[in-house]
Amino acid sequence: MNSVARLGAYTLDTWQELRYLAAMFWALAAASLRRQTWVRTVRNELVRQVYTNGVQATRFILYVSIAVGISVVSQALVWMQKIGQPKLLGPLLVTVLVREAVPVLTNLLAIGRNGTSMTLELGQMNIAGEVRMLDAQGLDPFVYLVLPRVLGLSIAVFCLNLFFLTGSLVSGYLFSALLAAKVGDPVSYLQSILNSVEALDLANFLLKSLLPALCTGIICCHEGLRLQGSVAKIPAATKRALANSVRALFFISALVSLLTYI
Amino acid sequence: MTSNQSSSALPPRLELCKVSTDPDPDYDVPLWGIDFALQPGELLLVRLERGHLNTPLADLALGLIEPREGQVRFNGSNWQRLSAPRAAQQRGRCGRFFVAQAWYTALPIDANICLAQQHHSQHPRTEIEAEAAALARFFGLPGLPLGEPTKARADDLDRAALVRAFLGNPELIILERPTRFLYPEIMPPLLNALQSARSKGAAVIWTTYDAEVWEEPALNPSLRGTMFGSRMQLNREE
Repeated sequence: MNSVARLGAYTLDTWQELRYLAAMFWALAAASLRRQTWVRTVRNELVRQVYTNGVQATRFILYVSIAVGISVVSQALVWMQKIGQPKLLGPLLVTVLVREAVPVLTNLLAIGRNGTSMTLELGQMNIAGEVRMLDAQGLDPFVYLVLPRVLGLSIAVFCLNLFFLTGSLVSGYLFSALLAAKVGDPVSYLQSILNSVEALDLANFLLKSLLPALCTGIICCHEGLRLQGSVAKIPAATKRALANSVRALFFISALVSLLTYI
Repeated sequence: MTSNQSSSALPPRLELCKVSTDPDPDYDVPLWGIDFALQPGELLLVRLERGHLNTPLADLALGLIEPREGQVRFNGSNWQRLSAPRAAQQRGRCGRFFVAQAWYTALPIDANICLAQQHHSQHPRTEIEAEAAALARFFGLPGLPLGEPTKARADDLDRAALVRAFLGNPELIILERPTRFLYPEIMPPLLNALQSARSKGAAVIWTTYDAEVWEEPALNPSLRGTMFGSRMQLNREE
C-alpha cells in the first residue's frame, strides 16, 4: 500500500471512529433521558460503577495529588514569595491546576486504572457468552452494561477531579509551610485561589472532567464488546482502547482550552 | 364465547414460520425450513443429533438472531419488527436454561438468579428472593445459592439455572439439555415444575440428546422434533 492509500485508509478509519463516537453519545443521551431506562438493576449497576471507579480509587488519587501538590504548589508558593509577587499565586495555580493539570492527570489515571479494566472485563464477558446470556434474559447490554459504566466513570472522574484538586492544594500549602515560613495564612491562600477562578474556568473544568471520561467509557466499552473469538485478542483490544482514550483525552483538552480561552 | 373459543383466538405462544438461518461459527449447524407453532401449555421435545448439539433454535425463539428466511413470532409479535426496548421487555417474559454455563460473573449466584426478574418486574426484591428460594429448595438446593458462579459445582449451577429459568412464571421456557449433569434425580421435580408452568400457560421447548429423556413417558410432549442435520422432523403427539 502506498503512502497516499495509507493516509486515505487512516482518514476513513478515523472518520468511522468519530461517527461511531457521535452515535454512541447520542444513544447514551437518549437512553439516559428515558425514564424506563432507570430500572433498579441499572441504578444498582451505576452505583456499583461509581463505587468501583470512584470510591475505590480515592487512596490512589490522594497519593498522586499529594505528590503533585508537593512538586507544583510548593514550588509556586516559594517562587512567588521569592520574586515578591504573592498576589500572582492564585492565578498561577488556577492556570496550572484547575485549567490543565488536574483534569488531564485524573483522566489519565482513570484511563489506566478503570478504562483498561473495563475493556478487559467486557471482552472476557463477551467471549465467555455472558453478554449474550444477559441479552437472552432481556437485559439490553447497552442499557445494562454500557450506560452505567460510561456514566459511572464520568461521575467518578468528576468527583475525583475535585478530590485531586483539594488534595494537591492542601498538601502543597502544608509542605510549603514546612519549608518556608512566609506562605501566609490558609484563609488568604484560599482566597487568592478562589478570587482567580472565573466562570470560564469552571466551565473548562467541568468540560475537561466529563467529556474525556465519557469518551474513555465509550471507547473502552466498544473495544471490549466488539471482541469475538479468543481471549488472546484481549491484550490488543486493551492497548487499542488505551491509545484511543489517551488520544481523545488530549484532543478534547486542547479543543476545550481553545474554545474557552481563545 | 366459550373458554376454548377464546383461547383458540389467541396467537400461538411461539411460532416459527418456514425459518432458515445462515451458517454461523457460534453454532454446530444452521437450521432450514423449521415450521411449527406452540400454543400456551404445549411442549416441544427436540432430539438433537450427535455432533450437532449446539443449534440456533433457542436464540431464534428469543429473537436474538435474525432468520435468513421466515419469521419468528412470540405471542403474535414478529421479533424483527420489535424495537430494542420492546424486544428486551418481551424476553423478560421468557425463561431459559442455557446450553453452556452462563452467569454474570460480577454478581453472586443469587443475584444472577433474580437479576432478570428485578430488571423486568416491579415486585419487591424480598418477594422475588423468597420465590427463588422456594424454587431452589424444590430443585434440591438447600436454599438460594450464594457465592460466586465461578466457584460453584457444575451440578449446583445447573440446579440454580433451573431456578432462574422457572422464576417469575415465564410464558416461554427454553430448556437446552437441562438434565446433562443431573439425570435422573432431577426428573421428578423438573417434571412437576414443567407441569405447573404448562398449566399456567407456558409453552416449553426442551432439547435433549439422551434417549432416556426422549422416551420418558411422564414428559408428555405435545410435539416431538428430531433433528436431521439442518432439518427438523416434527410429529404432533395424539
